[in-house]
Amino acid sequence: MARDEKDRRKDKERRNPVAPGGPSLLAAQPTPAVVPAPRHVYRWDLDKTYLKTEFDTFKQLLRSALEGAEAKQSVPGASALLRELRAGGGARICFISGSPRQMRRVLTKKLKLDGVEFDEFILKPNLRNMLTGRFRAMREQVGYKLPALLAGRAGLPPETRETCFGDDAEADGFIYSLYGDIIAGRVKRRLLEEILERAGTYDDDAQRAVTLAEALPTGEAVQRIFIHLDRRSPTSRFDRYGARLVPVFNYFQAAMVMFEDGQLSAPAVVRVALEMVDRYGYTIDALRNSLQDLLRRGRLRRATARTLADELTPEKVPQLGALPSARELLISFATRVRQLGDVPSMAIALDQPIDYLAALEADLPRKGKKRTDIAPPIT
Amino acid sequence: MDPRAPVGTRSVTVAVDAMGGDHAPDEVVRGVAMLSLEAPHIQTLLVGDGEKIGALLAKERHDPERIAVHHAPEAVAMWEKPADALAQHPGASILVAAQLVADGAADALVSAGNTGASVLACARTWKRIPGVGRAALASVYPTEIRRGEKDDPFSLILDVGATLDVTAEDLVTFAIMGSAYAARVSKNPRPRVALLSNGAEAGKGPPEIVEAHKLLKEATELNFVGNVEGVDIPRGSADVVICSGFVGNVVIKMLEGVSETIVRLGHYASKEKILWRAGLALLSGGISRLKEVTDWEQYGGAPVLGFDRLFIKAHGRSRARAITNAAKVAAKAVQAGLTDDIEKALASFASRRAA
Repeated sequence: MARDEKDRRKDKERRNPVAPGGPSLLAAQPTPAVVPAPRHVYRWDLDKTYLKTEFDTFKQLLRSALEGAEAKQSVPGASALLRELRAGGGARICFISGSPRQMRRVLTKKLKLDGVEFDEFILKPNLRNMLTGRFRAMREQVGYKLPALLAGRAGLPPETRETCFGDDAEADGFIYSLYGDIIAGRVKRRLLEEILERAGTYDDDAQRAVTLAEALPTGEAVQRIFIHLDRRSPTSRFDRYGARLVPVFNYFQAAMVMFEDGQLSAPAVVRVALEMVDRYGYTIDALRNSLQDLLRRGRLRRATARTLADELTPEKVPQLGALPSARELLISFATRVRQLGDVPSMAIALDQPIDYLAALEADLPRKGKKRTDIAPPIT
Repeated sequence: MDPRAPVGTRSVTVAVDAMGGDHAPDEVVRGVAMLSLEAPHIQTLLVGDGEKIGALLAKERHDPERIAVHHAPEAVAMWEKPADALAQHPGASILVAAQLVADGAADALVSAGNTGASVLACARTWKRIPGVGRAALASVYPTEIRRGEKDDPFSLILDVGATLDVTAEDLVTFAIMGSAYAARVSKNPRPRVALLSNGAEAGKGPPEIVEAHKLLKEATELNFVGNVEGVDIPRGSADVVICSGFVGNVVIKMLEGVSETIVRLGHYASKEKILWRAGLALLSGGISRLKEVTDWEQYGGAPVLGFDRLFIKAHGRSRARAITNAAKVAAKAVQAGLTDDIEKALASFASRRAA
C-alpha cells in the first residue's frame, strides 16, 4: 500500500474516531505512550451545554442542522471556561454529542472559531441508525452515551479524575451520575442491566456497556458533574443525584465551584466572567445574583466568595490583565460580593445513594410516558 | 437603574415583600420566579425569610441572574395593627424592603401584605414629594369606554384607602398625581379628571368637595371635567376619579363584590336549568373575555402615590400572576419617570397658584 494511502486512512480514522458497531474506537484504544496521561478529563455535551441550540420544533431542528459555524452561538462563558481548563495543563477535553456525525465539520469549525481545543469528538451515528432500522437509538441517549463514556474511560489511568458537563434538556444528569457510580463500583451488573433495559437500550449496546463497565478499575473518578440549566429547570429536580452534581444557570457559577474545588485559579474565574460581560452583556448584578444563588443553594462556601473578592482589589486587578474599564467593573463586583447579605443557605441532604430506577422514571422520556419532572423550553 | 439609559429601556430593580399576603411566601416567590423568565429588564430583590425563599425558588423554574434575596427575619401578619406591628417587628420584611428602596438598592416596592403597615413603612422610610400632604392609594377598574393610545379599558380611582379624611387641597393633589399616572402609565396624554360626588352640579356634596371643585376648575394643568356620580364610574365617563380614601374604599370593594357576585350567579344559573347552562355555554367566549377584563389579577396592584419612590400595593389575596403583574406595573411606572412627573406637575401648579 502506498505511503500516501496509509496516511490518508490514518487521517480519516483520526477525524472519524467512531467505528461502525461501536461508539468510540479511538476512545477505546489505550492512549499512545508518547502522549502523557491526562491528569483530568473534562467531558462536555455539545447542544444546550456548549452551544445555544434550539431544536424543540422541527423548524428549529432544521435551522440548527443547516446553519454554518459562524451562525452558531455558544453559551455565554463556555468557550472561556474551556480555554481556561485547557490552559491549566494536563487536561483532556472530550466532546460527546447527540448530533449526527454529518455535522462534524461545522461543529469542529465552530470550536476552532471560539479558540477551543479538544482531544476527542464523538458524534452519534444517526444515519447508520436510520439505515439499519435502529430508530429507537436515534432518540435514546443512555444506550449511546454510556458505552461511549465507558469506552473513553477504558484507556485512562485509574487516578485520572473527571468533570462532566451536560444540560437539563436530555438525561445528562442521569447518564453522568450513572457513569461515575459505575466506575466507583456502586452500580452492580444486575442493576446496570435493569437500568439499560428500562431505558430502552438495544441489546448489543447494553451488552457493550456492561462489558466495558466490568473491565474498568474501580475508583472515584468523576469528581463533579455540572448541568447547565438551559430550560431553567427547578434545581430541586437534581437533588436526587447528590452533591457531586451541581445544576448551574451559567458558566460563571461552574467556574466558581471549580475555583472552590481547586480546578481553576481566581484569575481564570475572572476571565470567564469578563467574557460573559464583554461578549454577552452580563451585568455585575447578574454575576452577583448568580453567586448568591450558589450560596443560597449551599453549593458554594461563603469563604470562597470572599476569597475571590479579596483577589479583586485595586492592587491585584491590574495583574489580571484586564482593560481599565474592566478593572473598574471587577472592583465594583468585588464590593458587591462583600456586601452580599447574610442569606441563609439551604440545608440539603445530598449524599444519599442514588435510586437510579426512580431517577430513570422521572428523568428519561419513555414510550407513551411523559417525563414527570422536566421543564418545557423557554419561549 | 442607569439614569443615562433612554426611558423605556432602563433596567429596573423592584423590591418585593416575599412575606406579605394571604398566600405568602409561596405565591409571591412563584410570581417573582415567573417574572424572572418573562421580563429580562426587571431585576427583583426578594425580601423575607431567606431559607424559605431559597427552598421555594429551588422548586420553581426561574432565572436567578435576575433575582437577589435579602434576608429579613420577621414579618407583619395581615391582621396586625400597623403601628404596633412595625414597632414589634423592626426586622419585618416590609420595613426592610422599604428601607432598601430608600437606600437606592431598588427602584420600587411591591407588597401584597398588610396595607396599613406597608403604607406606614413607606411613610417612615421615604420622603413625600414636595407639595403632597398625604399619600393616596390608587386603583384601576374596568369601564365600558376605552381610552388612550393603547385603548385602555381601565380608569383610575384615588384615594381608595390611604387617607380617610381629606381636605380640598388633598383632593387637588390626588387629581394631579392621578392625572400624571394615567398619562404616563396608561399612555393617555390628557386624561379626563372628575370629582366623585352625589351630583354633577358644582355645588353638590360636602364642603371639601365643593371647595375642591372650585380649585380644580382653576387648575389649567388638568383636564377637569367636573363632578361625576357613582353610576358614571363603570361607564368610564372619567379617566381619573378623585375621592376620599373612605369613599374610594367603599366604591372599589363594591365593584369587586359586584364582579364576584356576577360570576357566582353564573355558576348558580348553570346548575339551575339545563337551558340556562346551554345559554351560558354559548356565551362562554364572551364571558371569558369579560372575566379577563374584570380580573384584578391581570392588572397587578394599586400604586401608592405621593412618595418620592413608588409602591405598588398588590391585593392581599394575590397569587403568582398578580404578583408578576404588580412588579411589571411598578417597573413600567419607574421607567416612565412617574414620580419625577408628579413632582414637576405639583411644582407647576404651586407656582401658578402663588403667582
